[in-house]
Amino acid sequence: MPFEIHLTEWQILFVKLGIILALVPTMTLVAGYAEHKVMAHLQHRLGPMYPGGFHGWAILLADGLKFLYKEDIIPERADKRVFSLATFAIFVPAVMVYLVIPVDRTLIIEDLDVGIFYLLAISSVSTIGILMAGWSSANKYALIGALRAGAQLIAYELPIVLSAAVVVMLSGSLSLVDIVEAQNWPFLLWPPGIGLIAFLVFTMAGVAELTRPPFDMPVAESEIITGAFTEYSGMRFIFSYFFPEVANMVAFAAIGATLFLGGYQPIVPLEFLEVIPGIVWFSLKTALMLFVFLWIRPTFPRLREDQLQKFAWKILIPITLALILVAGAWVLYAPEAVR
Amino acid sequence: MSLDEKRVTDQTPVHDPAELAKMVSGANLVTEQMVLNVGPQHPATHGVFRLLATIDGEVLVDAQPIIGYMHRGYEKLVEARDYRQITNLVSRMDWLSGINNELPMHLCLEELMEIEVPERAQYLRVVMCEMNRILNHLMFFASFGAELGAITPTFYAFREREDIQFAMEMATGGRMHFGFFRPGGIREDVPKGFFAQALKGVRQVMARLNQYEDLLVGNEIFKQRTIDIGHLDKEIAYNYGVSGPIARGSDIGFDVRKDEPYLVYDRFDFNVVSAPNGDCFDRFWVLIHEVVESAKIVEQAIEDMPSGPIMGKVPRVIQAPEGEVYVRTENPLGELGMYLISDGDRRPYRLKIRTPSYNNVSVLPHVLKGQMVADMIAILGSFFFVLGDIDR
Amino acid sequence: MTLSAAERTSIEDARAHLEREFGPRVKNLDIVHGQLDLTAEPHNLVELVTFLRDASGFHFRFFTFLSGVDRSEFGPEDAENKPHPLEVLIHLYSPDNVLHVNVHVPVDPAEPECPSISKVFLGALWHERECHEMYGIHFEGHPSLTNLYLPEDFEGHPGLKSFKLPSRMVKDWPGAKDPEEAAAGGR
Repeated sequence: MPFEIHLTEWQILFVKLGIILALVPTMTLVAGYAEHKVMAHLQHRLGPMYPGGFHGWAILLADGLKFLYKEDIIPERADKRVFSLATFAIFVPAVMVYLVIPVDRTLIIEDLDVGIFYLLAISSVSTIGILMAGWSSANKYALIGALRAGAQLIAYELPIVLSAAVVVMLSGSLSLVDIVEAQNWPFLLWPPGIGLIAFLVFTMAGVAELTRPPFDMPVAESEIITGAFTEYSGMRFIFSYFFPEVANMVAFAAIGATLFLGGYQPIVPLEFLEVIPGIVWFSLKTALMLFVFLWIRPTFPRLREDQLQKFAWKILIPITLALILVAGAWVLYAPEAVR
Repeated sequence: MSLDEKRVTDQTPVHDPAELAKMVSGANLVTEQMVLNVGPQHPATHGVFRLLATIDGEVLVDAQPIIGYMHRGYEKLVEARDYRQITNLVSRMDWLSGINNELPMHLCLEELMEIEVPERAQYLRVVMCEMNRILNHLMFFASFGAELGAITPTFYAFREREDIQFAMEMATGGRMHFGFFRPGGIREDVPKGFFAQALKGVRQVMARLNQYEDLLVGNEIFKQRTIDIGHLDKEIAYNYGVSGPIARGSDIGFDVRKDEPYLVYDRFDFNVVSAPNGDCFDRFWVLIHEVVESAKIVEQAIEDMPSGPIMGKVPRVIQAPEGEVYVRTENPLGELGMYLISDGDRRPYRLKIRTPSYNNVSVLPHVLKGQMVADMIAILGSFFFVLGDIDR
Repeated sequence: MTLSAAERTSIEDARAHLEREFGPRVKNLDIVHGQLDLTAEPHNLVELVTFLRDASGFHFRFFTFLSGVDRSEFGPEDAENKPHPLEVLIHLYSPDNVLHVNVHVPVDPAEPECPSISKVFLGALWHERECHEMYGIHFEGHPSLTNLYLPEDFEGHPGLKSFKLPSRMVKDWPGAKDPEEAAAGGR
């Protein structure tokens, strides 16, 4: 830097907060717009074309404005305090996850030593939020949706945590920056098979954790409308359901890119590619993961709840447990030359 | 894809609530049954249809359909209208197969009045009815996928429907309700370019059907959600009077077009599609493959289209002589029959309309008992019914 | 599945067989427009229908419909042979033999009662409920003869010819007329 800026700790904190509060909604808007357009083109149609003039880029802004005008209805028999607090319990973790995502070697809000641990812990707080929302709504459908969501989220936490544990074992550290640094090209395919399987498990469990199709039985099953959030309207709905879902989706895509695809490192370790800043590589990889999430949505029908649970407990978790054993063996016994 | 390839392995859900309770804790779990109202406003039911479901956990103990939210009193209305007015009225029962609804009444009249319908009119009637059958089946293809969460087939199906609906609009002026048939023939001859457009639409559907099969029928998740779900037994189907693709999915091979051919169906070469297992998957499979058969019929009919008049010798005032007759046709959803009692007037004395969805839905309590709540949507979707048909 | 043409019972054979078995108990056994047509008595009905469903050579196992017919205004006022004013009409079909049968059951218009065939054909459950609310015919033995289409407190039987279709008359909304009334307990 040509000149030095001295900021006090408090000022740094405010700058970081500002960055997050600016970044997260922007990412959400971009991802939401991408969802509209990707889904539309896969369904042989155009998607939003009018809001904002150029291919409808302002569709989510228009939607947000529309929701601002809506009446905030709380059902008479609902538990008002829990009803309102549920929104926070879901929204805040969605934003806090962005704290530790390494966009570039030094571009990270806070490089925690326990980065991945913090990430997984915080993202599971939203489960209680969904249960609160469904319980307090005084609506049978919301209750069913909330219970299904709770069961699903708990079930799919384990494959995510275990596949992340595989990565931690292979890279030797919980800090996300260290994990990225420890990855060499080709990111997924080495160690042989372990990384790839862990990546696939992580992606599938991630889709389930986000309650996105094909695992969206808790929310969009035609019989329970929006599940736990049926009674939410207006801005409350946006902040409880739509915003956290998209923000979490982007966060998961980013985490997947960080853990498995090499984060901000260039795709191929060639000289001339080093010139392009890491943030570009990171964005590309996140966008790729995001596209896969968006692509899956219009393609598959929904899994029924018990099939979903069976898939988690009987298939994904045993695979990840086995994977941990194999990864552990690799770390201990693989000869130096191969690493 | 043949039916043999579609079987998947283990699907043994435990459906008895008492057994479930024992499995969970071994002790005597005291659970309460919850009464859940599905509808009348609900995205998954096709229209204002209410299902009073009593559920114990996730298992449906009882499901009673409550209908009548759309009852318009057709049987009383038609007693005050003459036959041409009834044509347009009756088109609105099963609104997805508009022209098929008009047919039985005209066949009744032609039987009683002994009118001979010229060949060209017969062929054109067949073309219209079969094109409408394709429209109907594509619509249910779209809605069944959407209810299971596959949102894409909806758009593909509607894309195919566009060409066929355009053809029908060329000929009749309507896309959904046509008012095209008259006693003795049809209203007017079809315009130039109709046959080309109809063939284009129909051939496109046939060509793209493989895509649809792969998209849904070949999908593992779809198979898991529909195979062995909602079993309808063959004898129960007969006893309740279930007909149409739903019955043919339960190993019943009857089709009015083959058993008692009306119009000129006996001149066409087509198969009756039926499937042996009676679950949701089979009903859906029958639906898709019937589209192919209908497309074949349309092609053959257009190829062999004779020229000639489109209206037989009909008196100025349409008055059926005294008599009663029951005529049934193969509506896309099943057997649509009309029992006409005429006393020589310009209006029917009594027209009993036997609609397919009425009987098809009455079998729902039997099929839904013991199923899981999540399967209820799949089963409701696989019972292709239209509210206008049930409620008349 | 329909039997082959050789194995099917022809309609004349079916009529002859029916005449042998039920001869004096049914009236007007005839073939009209290619379909069997007969008139039965209410007390014979269940036996007849069971026979039609189960007897070999018949197998009328497909339940088509059950409905009521009000013939009280049939034909000119001063005709000699006036038909019976109220009847239940049942139509059955044999998928094996491709045969149809229409069963007319005359019912006393003053006290319309008819035994229910819902134990023989489960499909009749709904049809009988509709017939009851439209024509006022009471079906004995039906497990729950409630209204199917119409609300529970509907007065009158719309299917009967005596219930005139009000073309220009508007019936007042029977429930509450504004939100306050509805909140206070009106419908």
